[in-house]
Amino acid sequence: MLEVIDLTVAYGPVVALHGVSLTVADGSMTAVLGANGAGKTTLVRTISGLTRPHGGSIRLDGRDITRLAPDAIARLGVAHVPQGQGVLAELTVDENLRLGGLWRRDPGGQRHALAEAYDLFPRLASRRHLAAFSLSGGERQMLSVGRALVARARVLLLDEPSLGLARLVLVQIMARIRALVTERGLTVLLIEQNAKSALSVADEGIVLHLGKVVARGRAQQLLSEERLRHAYLGF
Amino acid sequence: MSRFFVLSLTGLTQGAIYAAMALALVMIWRATKVINFAQAAMAMFTTYLALFAIDHGAPYWVGFLVALLSGLLLGAIIERVLVRPVESAPPLNVVILTLGLLLFLEALAPMAFGGQIRSFPPAFSIVGLHLGNSQVAFSPFDAFTLGAVLAVMVLLLVLFQKTNLGLRMRASAFNPEVSGLLGIRVGRMLTLGWALASLVGALAGVLIAPSLLLYPTFMDDVLVFGFTGAVIGGLDSAVGAVVGGLLMGFALSYVGGYFGSDLETVGALVILIAVLMVRPRGLFSLQRLRQV
Repeated sequence: MLEVIDLTVAYGPVVALHGVSLTVADGSMTAVLGANGAGKTTLVRTISGLTRPHGGSIRLDGRDITRLAPDAIARLGVAHVPQGQGVLAELTVDENLRLGGLWRRDPGGQRHALAEAYDLFPRLASRRHLAAFSLSGGERQMLSVGRALVARARVLLLDEPSLGLARLVLVQIMARIRALVTERGLTVLLIEQNAKSALSVADEGIVLHLGKVVARGRAQQLLSEERLRHAYLGF
Repeated sequence: MSRFFVLSLTGLTQGAIYAAMALALVMIWRATKVINFAQAAMAMFTTYLALFAIDHGAPYWVGFLVALLSGLLLGAIIERVLVRPVESAPPLNVVILTLGLLLFLEALAPMAFGGQIRSFPPAFSIVGLHLGNSQVAFSPFDAFTLGAVLAVMVLLLVLFQKTNLGLRMRASAFNPEVSGLLGIRVGRMLTLGWALASLVGALAGVLIAPSLLLYPTFMDDVLVFGFTGAVIGGLDSAVGAVVGGLLMGFALSYVGGYFGSDLETVGALVILIAVLMVRPRGLFSLQRLRQV
């Protein structure tokens, strides 16, 4: 279970997150919605340890991880798929994917997870020995997501996975992740600008506006609230 | 035997040492985007430590090991204690730090080991081999120099390309933030990178000391030539560093042989300018590719 309690983050005088709290239960998916600058990316960066909060705490299965370094948090099973620039461009596709599972020190499981990732993204399999900088934007996104799957994380932080992906590929990826949530109890925090598609796969939804939570609830319920949709979600 | 052949052999051996120095610089450049000017003094210091061991009755090979191991340790300590605190500062701060360290170590050495110029024993004879009736300008020690540099390069290549540890190190050098998100202990990889680079520099030190004699600034020219080789090779390519270092070895040997040894340094400068005019990013840089 991932818990964010009263989190406050500021960049100098600019407050990016203001007392944000949320809980993602094991085996569930929560979508974090909101416009550009609402604080969505800051939220995931703080959870994965890249940004230091000014107040509040983050807990993973009851353990306080607020002050841990990013690599220590990753080794607890939290995989952060950053927006856009998540691949190591100079390394090959295969090396990128393998890096995802190295922290486990479990060569057998790693090979299996690698094969799974290639099954899910045949495009990556055919480019396995190319350097990642030769990939298209969509392929890079597949690589980032595939790497998080190879990591066999317990908690997946997805920052705008839809960026640069064809609709069909996105649907495929989300279906796969949804299956992992249901079958393996994966916990997912999904950051999205496209509220409609995010809410259609998530269990819960949270709407951020200028660093504050302005609405939360079951995904279906948020989808049906007209006032909210007009004010914050733009559809 | 033709003069050209003799000069080529000398160039090859010298070039192997410049290549090792260039490689040491490139390894740190790739990991921290800093030219470690202190590399000259670090290699000088570890060579003195080797001589210290040999002076106290240790056999040559123990001294050789002392140089390599103290190189490993010195690199790790410098990264941990000196470089780490200024890591997030602008790169210029770290460059100034390495320059300061260069001066510090070169001032410390005479105090620790005495100021006089010392000779350093070679591992094998430095007398040229006999081929039939004629003697060639290639000694058993030259062969050892080539072999040792080659062995270290092959080992590094295997480490970086074939092992998970090497993969982690490369990832950390290219993108520390993403590597951290993948659970890699980036700090440890940096320390290890500095340690290995310093080991390669230390190797260059013990290999060239017999022909240069040992004094506090004896590695400075090697640093300049190695750096030039690294820039020619593109600064961020290990293969480039080796090729650039070898090129420097050949070129300086020809310049010294045909035009006089006073012109060697000028020759290095001319080559550097010529290469950078034709290929501003160096011969093997990844930069161009990355822009695609």
